Amino acid sequence: MKQHPRGLSLLVAILPIFFLVHPLFAQSQNEAEKILRHVDDLWRGESSSAEMTMKVKTAHYTRTLRMAAWSKGKANTLVRIISPLKEKGTATLKSGKNIFTYLPQTDRTIRLTSGMMMGSWMGSHFTNDDLVKETRREDDYEAKITFRGERAGQNVIEFTLIPKLDAAVVWGKVVLTIRSADYIPLEEVFYDEEMAVARTFRFRDLKVLGGQLRPAVMRIIPADKPEEYTEVIYETLELNLPVEEAFFSIANLKRR
Amino acid sequence: MMDIIKIGFRNLIRNRHRTVVTTFAMGFAGFIMILFASLMQGMLQASERNAVSMDVGDIQIHVAGFRDDPDLYKQIKAPDVLIKKIETAGLRAAPRLYGFGLAASGSASSGVQLHGLNVPLEREVTEIHKHLAKGAWLDPNDPGGVVIGRRLAKTLDISVGSELIFLGQSADGGIANAVYRVRGVLKSVGDSIDRSGLFMVETAFRGLMVLPEGAHEIAVMRPDRRGELSTAKSQIASLAGDYETLDWKEIRPTIARLLEMADTQLIIIMIIITYIAVATVVLNAMLMGVFERIREFGIMKAIGVKPWQIIGLIYVETLAQTAAASVLALGTGWAASVYLQKNGIDLTHIVSGASVGGVAIDPIWRAQVSAETVMTPILFLFIMAVIAVIYPAMKAAFIRPVDAIHDQ
Repeated sequence: MKQHPRGLSLLVAILPIFFLVHPLFAQSQNEAEKILRHVDDLWRGESSSAEMTMKVKTAHYTRTLRMAAWSKGKANTLVRIISPLKEKGTATLKSGKNIFTYLPQTDRTIRLTSGMMMGSWMGSHFTNDDLVKETRREDDYEAKITFRGERAGQNVIEFTLIPKLDAAVVWGKVVLTIRSADYIPLEEVFYDEEMAVARTFRFRDLKVLGGQLRPAVMRIIPADKPEEYTEVIYETLELNLPVEEAFFSIANLKRR
Repeated sequence: MMDIIKIGFRNLIRNRHRTVVTTFAMGFAGFIMILFASLMQGMLQASERNAVSMDVGDIQIHVAGFRDDPDLYKQIKAPDVLIKKIETAGLRAAPRLYGFGLAASGSASSGVQLHGLNVPLEREVTEIHKHLAKGAWLDPNDPGGVVIGRRLAKTLDISVGSELIFLGQSADGGIANAVYRVRGVLKSVGDSIDRSGLFMVETAFRGLMVLPEGAHEIAVMRPDRRGELSTAKSQIASLAGDYETLDWKEIRPTIARLLEMADTQLIIIMIIITYIAVATVVLNAMLMGVFERIREFGIMKAIGVKPWQIIGLIYVETLAQTAAASVLALGTGWAASVYLQKNGIDLTHIVSGASVGGVAIDPIWRAQVSAETVMTPILFLFIMAVIAVIYPAMKAAFIRPVDAIHDQ
């Protein structure tokens, strides 16, 4: 089984809220924190609904999943697989700190225990832990702007995030690069506690999604296996839809 | 010479009480030693059996690195061919498959290690199929039936006949998910199997994990478990080529070291302590027997008995008593050991589920009787007796008659 670096909540990142980055300028003395707060705030979109494709490439297999995802607030996320047929209907529900998986092959719902948290989510480079952990950069990290200027033809801002002492974060640091013009994230690099790169997120293919320009593709590359990746491609995204809390229930997991 | 023997026996009969007490004391000590040796032997064999025969086997073959980071893709290619070669070489071998995932039942779930076994071949290699607490072992005709470790059964609160859901990731990256029925629950085998062992037949494993060929491990067993382990290991290593070949002592170093230590140091120390106690009993009885009769020996010397004849006399008495004690010890010790070999001491309430170095301790402590465990104590009994009476014999032999006669 694959062991993935544990992490800050970035599976939340595969959900549209991750991309809710819209330009807002901040020019106070603590500009870094302010920008970051906006980025964080936008991840907490009221609700969302999206369809996406997840491509996983590893040394041993390549797989493509189409899925639909819904979220409401911080605590509720539901992801349901649409294809391939073999896995159609498999659904993952994140409700608070728990993850439930509905398995249509056996018509059973399983609550994942702590032992499974480091396991791969749906064969991707995300761990189940990525799904559960929800952190706010602003809460967990001390942010500093470490670069500002032109890089590869565009103006960027680079943040270095160092975890606060009491934060439940496993990373040594995180380096986030965003476009200075519209605060669209370009790259986020996670370093382990030995300050070696653990994994890299890359964002590309800007597209209007949910009424705004956002990167439609996010690729996660594990540092120890640079030839592998998981790519999430957004097809549709709708924001701030009225979604009932009850939608994120175990009973609703099974509905196809 | 005949006279000395005659006198010796007459002395023994005359001091009937002392003779009986000494003989019984030595006999009892011999009995304890035989029982102790048999029980120690039994414990060592049980530990080794649990380590080797239940799980590890004598020798294992893996892809290098599998043991540190077991992953589905580190497979031995064409295990059948290698197994055929091993079998031709006169050893037994079985392929094994490993996977990891989650087992769930009701609201309880637990991480598990999946074992995919070739049931007929595994039967030739290990004895795990005999080690069930409840239910039955795997049956190739029942791919939906699984056998689980005892603590896993407790964690999931399931037993024979219950349903269990497995969730993991198959080799193609998909979701491996299926429902199984528990066929059997194992007795304590070792930490890892007890806590997370989920056994299924090879075909079921291959279907579930989408792994049509290969094996993660080949376990090899010498058919009679005799001969040098290292010889068998180098034989297997030459057959296995680039794969990593390890013997059970390398795979379970803790228990191997413990057994080695127990085999030599512990037993020797315990036996020495027991034997010193026996020697004290013998020495005490003999000293009393000699000093009580010091005047008698003085008179014997006065009438011309030579010192070596007195020594001879005391040795005749000692050896006769030791012989009687040996018969007593042999009879009782052997009988008790055989009884404990059959029935064992039930320590279930004390050591249930205990383990040493990841290997379960059998809660029924059985003795193991062999010529060695029975005869070694007897031999030592004689040696101790012979050494113990040197001092009293010398004392009696070289005492001056005048001093002896005036001895009060």
